[in-house]
Order: sequence, then C-alpha cells, then structure tokens
Amino acid sequence: MKEPAIVFKDFSFQYRVQHEPTLHDINLTIYKGEKVLILGSSGSGKSTLANCINGLIPFSHHGTMTGSVTVMGQETRESSIYGLSKTVGTVLQDSDAQFVGLSVAEDIAFAMENEAKPRREMVPIVEEHAATVGMSDFLGAVPFNLSGGQKQKVAIAGVLGSNVNILIFDEPLAALDPQMGNTAVELIDDLARDKERTIIIIEHRLEDVLHRNVDRIVLMADGRIAADMTPDELLKSDLLQKHGIREPLYVTAMKYAGCELEGTENLGDINTIRFTDEAKGKLMRFFTEESEPMPENTADEVVGFDHVTYEYDAGKPVVRDASFSIKRGERIAVIGKNGAGKSTAAKLICGVARPKSGTVRIDGQDAKSLSIKEIGERVGYVMQNPNQMIIKDTIKKEVEYALTIREMPQDTIREKATAALNACSLYSMRNWPVDTVSYGQKKRITVASILVLEPDVLILDEPSAGQDYKSYTEIMKFINVLNREYGKTILFITHDMHLALENTERAIVFSDGEVIADDKVFAVLANDDIISRANLKQTSLYTLAKHLCLEPEQVTRRFIAHEREASKA
Amino acid sequence: MEIKKKNVGAMLVGEWNTKTIVAVAIGAALFGVLMCYGGIPIFTNTSLTTAMIIPVIVGALFGPLPAMVCCGVGNVIADLIGGWGLWFDWSVGNAVMAFCVGLLPVYGANIKEGIFTAKHAVIYAVCCILGNMVAFGVITPIFSALFYGSDLNLTFLQALAATLGNTLVLVVVGIPILLVLANRYKSRTNLKEDKGDQY
Amino acid sequence: MNNKLVINFVPGPTPVHKLAGSTKMLIFLLFTAAIIATFDIRVIAALMIVPIIAIISMRPNYKPLIVLLSVMLVTTGVIGSIMLLIVSPDTGFSHVGGSTIIWQASEKLFITRETLWYLLVTMTKRVASFLTVMMFALATTPSEFASGLAFLHMPYKVCTIVSLAYRTIPDIASKFIDIRNSMQMRGVELSKKASVGKRLKATGQLLIPLIMSSFGRVESIANAMDLRGYGRLKTRTWYAEHELTNLDKILRIAAIFFGAAILFYIVYFRIINPYPAEMWCPFIAKEDIIAKSQFEDIFFLKWFNK
Ligand SMILES: Nc1ncnc2c1ncn2[C@@H]1O[C@H](COP(=O)(O)OP(=O)(O)OP(=O)(O)O)[C@@H](O)[C@H]1O
Ligand SMILES: Nc1ncnc2c1ncn2[C@@H]1O[C@H](COP(=O)(O)OP(=O)(O)OP(=O)(O)O)[C@@H](O)[C@H]1O
Ligand SMILES: [Mg+2]
Ligand SMILES: [Mg+2]
Repeated sequence: MKEPAIVFKDFSFQYRVQHEPTLHDINLTIYKGEKVLILGSSGSGKSTLANCINGLIPFSHHGTMTGSVTVMGQETRESSIYGLSKTVGTVLQDSDAQFVGLSVAEDIAFAMENEAKPRREMVPIVEEHAATVGMSDFLGAVPFNLSGGQKQKVAIAGVLGSNVNILIFDEPLAALDPQMGNTAVELIDDLARDKERTIIIIEHRLEDVLHRNVDRIVLMADGRIAADMTPDELLKSDLLQKHGIREPLYVTAMKYAGCELEGTENLGDINTIRFTDEAKGKLMRFFTEESEPMPENTADEVVGFDHVTYEYDAGKPVVRDASFSIKRGERIAVIGKNGAGKSTAAKLICGVARPKSGTVRIDGQDAKSLSIKEIGERVGYVMQNPNQMIIKDTIKKEVEYALTIREMPQDTIREKATAALNACSLYSMRNWPVDTVSYGQKKRITVASILVLEPDVLILDEPSAGQDYKSYTEIMKFINVLNREYGKTILFITHDMHLALENTERAIVFSDGEVIADDKVFAVLANDDIISRANLKQTSLYTLAKHLCLEPEQVTRRFIAHEREASKA
Repeated sequence: MEIKKKNVGAMLVGEWNTKTIVAVAIGAALFGVLMCYGGIPIFTNTSLTTAMIIPVIVGALFGPLPAMVCCGVGNVIADLIGGWGLWFDWSVGNAVMAFCVGLLPVYGANIKEGIFTAKHAVIYAVCCILGNMVAFGVITPIFSALFYGSDLNLTFLQALAATLGNTLVLVVVGIPILLVLANRYKSRTNLKEDKGDQY
Repeated sequence: MNNKLVINFVPGPTPVHKLAGSTKMLIFLLFTAAIIATFDIRVIAALMIVPIIAIISMRPNYKPLIVLLSVMLVTTGVIGSIMLLIVSPDTGFSHVGGSTIIWQASEKLFITRETLWYLLVTMTKRVASFLTVMMFALATTPSEFASGLAFLHMPYKVCTIVSLAYRTIPDIASKFIDIRNSMQMRGVELSKKASVGKRLKATGQLLIPLIMSSFGRVESIANAMDLRGYGRLKTRTWYAEHELTNLDKILRIAAIFFGAAILFYIVYFRIINPYPAEMWCPFIAKEDIIAKSQFEDIFFLKWFNK
C-alpha cells in the first residue's frame, strides 16, 4: 500500500475576515510520489487548500480550522511554517511577491542562504537551476526589469534550490508563453520522476498540463471537492462543463463532431490518443465540411505603429522597428515569447512609454502630442500585473474610480459599474477590500475598472491568466458585445492560443521586439516556422489534424468557424 | 500587576516575526524616499515632510520599537539617497521621536481591532509633542555638538522648527490616517457575498 | 532605474565595485568615524583624497552627484551659513577661540574672521562626509550592504531590514510611476496640460495609495520568505558576499592601521593633550587662544541669567 504524504480529514477552513468558510469538509489523501492536478474555478479555494499544506494557514492567514491536515504524518497546526518549509516547497501564484532576492541569482539562492549554505556551494547550484529554466543570461538582472513570464521562471528555479519532497506549484503556467509552458510542465514532470517527491499543480490551463500525464485530478468547486479521478475518467465525464472548466481543444472538437468519447483510448493524451473508427469518420466529415470565409475588415485605422523603436536601458531595444496598423472594430491577438515586448508595445500605445524613434498613431494622429490622459479617453489598457493598477481599497471604489473622476451622475456610475462588475462576476463581492480576494479575482477587478470606460480601443494583457473558463467566458461575452454592437477595437495580449482562436481574427506575432508575423490567426497557428520562432506551440488541433492526415490550417479554420456559429447561436 | 508590566514590555518591543521585519523595511524605504522627495523645506535641515506618516502607521500596526528602527534606518537611507552625508544625530533623533509616536498600542489604541477613540487621539498628540521635544530638543543637539561641532543656537532653532513641523504633520495628517486605518480594519470583518441589487 | 538614482543595484565592473561588501562597509565606517573625530581642516582635507579617488575610479554618472552636491551646498551651506550669521554671529569664538570682527552692521549683526573659519571647517566636514557616503553608495548593492553588516556581527534580521529597505526603493519608485500612470490612463490629467496646482493636488492624493499598497505587499512578501525557510536557523549566509579579492586583503590590512591611527588621534590629540580650541586655525597662534564654552551663549540660558 502506498504511504500517504498529505491527508485532509473532514477539514474546513474559514478566514477570520470571511463570513462563511472558504473550504468545506475536505477529505483528501495524496500519496508519496504522486503527481496531482488541482482544478477549479477562480475563487474555489485552490490556493487556500495549498496554503493549508505549506502552513501559511493557520500560521500566517488566521482563521478557524476544523478537522485535521497531516503532512508526512505531522499535524500541521502542531508544526510550524519553518518546520513545514523543510518538507514543502511552494511556487506562489503572485510571482512578484515571490521575488524576494535582489537579483535573479540571489532569489534562486534565497532558500540556500537560509540553510546557511556556504557561498561556494551555492554558486554552481544557482547556475544549474537558472539554466534549467533558461534564465542563465539574466543572473544579474533585478526584478523590476523582468517581464511577467521571466519572473515566474525565476520563481520556479527558486524552489528547485531547496530540496524538499513535496512541491506545490500554484498556477505556474499563468504567465508563461506556450513553449515555456511546455518546458515547465516537462520540468515538473522530471521532478516527479523522483519517486520520493510528491507534486501538486494548481492550474487552469488543463490542456497544457496534460502535455505530460498526471496521476490524478482533483476538481474543486465552492470550497468542496467535486471530483477526484484520473484524467481520462474526468474528460469522459461532463464534470468539466458543469463546473465551468475548459476542456482541451481536441475534446471540444470531438464533441462538435458528435463523437462518442467513451470508446476512445488515452483520451487524456492527444499524442497517444486512439479513436474508434466511427469517431474518426465523424471527425473527417466534420473537418472537411466547407465553412464560409471570414469577412475582410475595411474600416479606417485606429492605432498605427510606424517603425517604432523603444528601449528601457540605452542600447537594449525592447521593441525594434515595429510597424503595424489596427483597424476600427478589429479583434487582434498579440502573441509571442516571454520578454518579446508585447506589454511594452501596449505601454507605447497608451503613451505610458514613448517611442525612441518612429511614431505611434492614434486615430491617425501622432500620439506625441497627446497626454496619457487624452490617450486614455480612447484607449483602455488592462495591465498584465493587477498589483500595478489597483488604487482604491474596495472593489466597488476601484471599479467606479474612472467614472467618479469624470464626475458622472451617481446613477450612471452605478449602472455602468454594475454592468462591469457582473461581466467580471464580481458583483456579489463589490464591497470587499481588494486585498482579500484571490489572484484571479484581482485580475478581474482591473478588467472591470477599465471596462466601465467602454474605450474605443481595449487592450487586455493576459486577460485569461488565472481565470477559469466560466468567469473568462463571461468577460469575453461582454467584450465581444462591445466589439459587435459598439464596434470597439479589442487587442488581446495573450499566451493562450485557445483565447486567440476563439476571440480574434488576426494575430500580430512578436519575437525579441520585432513583429515577425501579422496574419489570420489560423494561418499563424499552423505555420511551423513562426510557431518555433515565437515560442508558440501547435494547439492540440494541429496534432489532431496530423492524426487525421488533414491540413492543420483547414482543421483550425473549420474549428473557429464552428465556434463562431456556436457563439452566435 | 506583574503580568501587566510584562505586557507593556512585550508591547514596547513588539513581536519580531518576518512580517514585522518586512514591514519595518518597507516603512524605512518609504520614510527615506519621502524624506528626500515628499516634503517642503521650512528651515535648514528641517522640512514639513510627509515621511512622518510612516512611524504613525508602523507604530499603530507593530508598536514603538519597530517604528523606532524603521525611522532610524529610514533616515540613514534618506542620507544615502539624498546624499547629504551621514548624520547620526538626526537618525537618532528621528528614531527616538518615532518611538514616542509609535507608543499607540501601549495606551490601548489598537488599530488592528479598529479601536481608536478621542482619548487615544489626545494622548497620541501629547506623545508626538513630547517625543519631538526630547528627540530634537535634547538628543539631536547633543550629538550634533559632539560629532559635527554644530552651533547650539542654530541646532536648537532647528529643533524648534522640526518639533513644530513634525507635530503639525503628525497631528493634522496622522490622526485622520489613524481613523481611516481603524475603520479599514473594522470594515474588514465577516465579508459575505450578497447578490442583492441594493448596490 | 540605475542611472536615475545614485545608489546602485547591479554589481559594477570596476575594482572598487568588485570589493567584498564587508570591506566596503569597514572602510566606510572608518572614514565616517575619522571625519566625525577631527575638526582639523588639514586632516579633513587629507581624508577627502581616498573617497575622491575611489569615486573617480568607479566612472560614475556624474550628473546626479553634482545635483546632490549643489543642492546640499545651497541648502545646508549657503542658507545654513546665513542663518548662523543671524542667529549667533560670534559662534566662531567658542569653536576657534577668538573674535576678530571684520565687518559690522549692528551690535547684533556682525561677521568675525573666526566664524567664517568655523563655517569653512564645518562645510569641509560636510563635503567630506558627502564624498564618503557617495563612495559607499556608488559601490555597494543592497545585498553587499547586508553582508557587510553581517560581517560586523549584526543580527541577520537587522541586515535583512536594511537590505530589504534599500532594495524596496526602486519598487517604490516604480510603484509611484505605476499608480501615476494608472490614474492618468483612467482620466486624471497630470501632464503639463494641467495647472501646477492640480498636479500637486493629484500627486498628494497619490501618496495614500502609494503608502497603503506598499504596506499591502508586506504580508505576501513575508509569506514568500517564510515559505522558503527565512528565519529558520540562527545564522544565514549571503550569496552576495563573494570571496575576497587581493585588493580586499590589502585594504583590510590598511584598514587595521587606519583604525589604529584614528584611535591614536582621538586619544592623543582630543583627550591627552587637546588643542586649546575645538578647531585649529591658521590666524590664531596657539597661545593667544581664549577657551570659551559654547554653553555660555545659548540664547535661553542667557535669559535665565538675566
Ligand atoms: N487572505 C485572505 N483573506 C480573506 N479571504 C481570502 C484570502 N485569500 C482568499 N480569500 C477568499 O477565499 C476564496 C478562495 O480564494 P483562493 O485564492 O483559494 O481561490 P483560488 O481557487 O486560488 O482562485 P484563483 O484561481 O483565482 O487563484 C476567495 O473567495 C477569496 O475571497
Ligand atoms: N521597467 C523595465 N525596465 C527595464 N527593462 C524592462 C522593464 N520592463 C520590461 N523590461 C524588459 O523588456 C523586455 C520586454 O518586456 P515585456 O514585459 O514587454 O515582455 P512581454 O512580451 O510582455 O513578456 P511576457 O509575455 O512575459 O509578459 C523584457 O526583456 C524585460 O526584461
Ligand atoms: Mg489561487
Ligand atoms: Mg507582458
């Protein structure tokens, strides 16, 4: 019999400030050497559960616990945060909180410093771990010069530093580009090779995690455990839709095609999946159907880049000679590897950063002459990092902020705010202080605070990061309405290919500061050269197409077309 | 009685866990930055500075000693980034001042529990004045004279200006902030989702 | 970031940068002590040489340095001197030991040669102190600062406070900019297009969120540190404290002698046979110095005597 590493018995937890418990009668056993994925909608209590294992609860977040949690046979409440830190390593969700060192190297070394390891022993280990996550060139870099994804990589390297036998990754992929995401998943998988090591992954990007297999998936809903089964079983069940978790693309495709999932072998792994002949037939028929072509957008330009170059530190251009033109009412995906300059490009549009050379045009006007505020009247930018945006202390105040500044009448404010809050599924917690909500919820607050403005151009930086499918579709619905009914222009900066496929027509691809592609989404996502240059990855549709010996582009286009019809209906 | 003494002692020291350390550090940084960029000079070496808000907050949440360390270090940092040389006399002065300002928990103003009454406000104001007088009227001048051969008359005038300026900020800005903080913590209890349309 | 502030965060390339944090700390403290210990302008001048050489050797970006220096000279220097001449014009007497009036407006307002000399000395002292601090600030990264303190056997929690504080400064700067941008993007005009008054007011409003959000991060940072075993052991090592270079070794030996010298200077010249006046002055021969305590002319004490 396998020996248990973590055991929850009739466990429930209530934050001191909360009125109801956040976790309800949890019964869960995780065994030594297991690799478990925790799924669940945003705010369902995943991070809270993780914090009960690493000791932040009850030692840092106070509240009332009932029942018991034992880690390696030790009752956590009788241990201490330090005692637990010897056995449990955690990559926090909020990667800029995780970054305590002054430089990348020091942050990776932090755990070892605390173990009072002599320096000469640390150095090689640090270099090794930095190499594993591909940050070797950044050893000296300071945190405030790193892009979102780069920080996350460092965070992962940081826990590699402390050799613990339980590892918790709280949404490790959230800010990683698809290929880095794969690497991270592989990395985690290699760590799992060590049979002594138990690994817990919390992640919304199910499809990406399933790039390597996991032993078990625990599905959480409203602080309860809704399911605890193998990936295959879960995918075959209808629990995912029921709890608003997005299933892998190819599974969706199979459903569109009306296939029976039951008979399919290795449903959990697209690479080794085995279709029944009947399913294959249906898929072939579905994908070879012709779909009506997408209409060309011929509207006038709203945002234009003309040979724009920008650098934070002299001599290191972050955006290089970038040129593109965005038409009114377009929906565009800005994609590319971590540190490619996507967020910076967005900052350039908003005037927060000003080009070193070249011109940025807003409504055909050179942005040079416009102040940030004036640009803000037309362009709304939801930054990648919610902590950089939140100003007020309660959700409601934060969302209303922009409207109160414009001195709108109270009832208009209320009306707009309510709409935005609902769109971001925050209405019911509108009066909460911003620092008592989960990361995903924080991110949604920032989205709402910009949505209220209904700007002509809406830029969302990683809107799906840390979001579950349900709240994410809510947001997208609202945005797509803005786009369809009011002809607003939408830019998604994203690592989420699924989002790009579902919600955009056109993709602008960045790589090391240059625009390397500007084309229809399905064309880009089926182009191996671009995919490898921009650290993208083929969606599972691509692999599916290969299984069916079809043209990936054809398959992808058909899939999108169907999605569109579905969403219209 | 015996126990009470202990409590006071404990309150003066505050509990030095990681949270306190981080808070003190961040406080010190803020203090330093505001010292350099967040004030209007009213006299040589003295200005009406927003930095004074920091010891109030740190004191309220963590107690006098943390506030003291916070401002001591903060002043060193101000000297480093402000570049006007290292002046221990003022660092020590600020530290002492911060200690008195940070006494809040000792006389029962427990901001974390949302407790801050008029009585507390008065005691607080008195502490601020006394603290400043001791710090800049006695301690700083002594050090200045010994270490830097400053002219005592000038130093005393500076002390006077500092006392007035700081007390002004501490009272006029500090008390409202304390009230806001207290409410913030009070309002942060039994949060429940309400789907009601009563906005 | 770096080029905007004087203090630096990325270890620099020059030999001085490459010194161990402990050495930098040692030298910094010794010089500060020396400057505090002496009032002899000749010694102070001599003490300036090393910092100047060190600073030049680091090839810094001089602009901020010059700005700082001039600001200091104006505020504490010019304004300070004027104040002093108004408040106690005869202060030179008690410091230098004489009172030779060279210019008189009224019986309360006059200038003595000794007071001018006193001003010169204190000013030199300030400049020396400034140079020492700059030498240190330019050379040291926060973690070196911390490891330096650790070398002085400070409890490591204190070291953490200092380095963490030091490290947070750019965070505050960028946080400030973030909030500023966030406000502007959402409709607050802070560019030149708004009146100065408006901008000042808005900047004032910006302060509260800045402070609150900075303290708001305390919990999550502390958690991150705890989770990685901070404070688990009684001791701690510093990645930033690298092996000693040869220059380190040399300087440490030099430091020992320097320290001894300072000690000797204090014991002999300030205690055993002190110079009759606080400050040496070329205009007054040692024998006709009149000793006078500062306390005699503190204004409120005078009132009491009346
Ligand atoms: N520090 C805290 N104080 C009070 N309540 C909290 C705190 N952290 C989380 N909560 C509440 O607990 C609930 C679950 O939060 P948690 O962070 O566990 O969600 P999550 O499943 O991790 O969501 P996400 O996927 O967005 O990270 C949320 O509704 C949140 O309001
Ligand atoms: N404030 C800053 N100062 C200096 N360099 C920075 C700053 N912000 C980002 N950089 C650098 O600029 C490059 C681009 O950063 P940016 O945030 O635009 O990347 P990104 O495409 O958004 O990446 P990600 O997908 O990880 O968010 C990165 O190499 C980063 O190190
Ligand atoms: Mg979470
Ligand atoms: Mg980004």
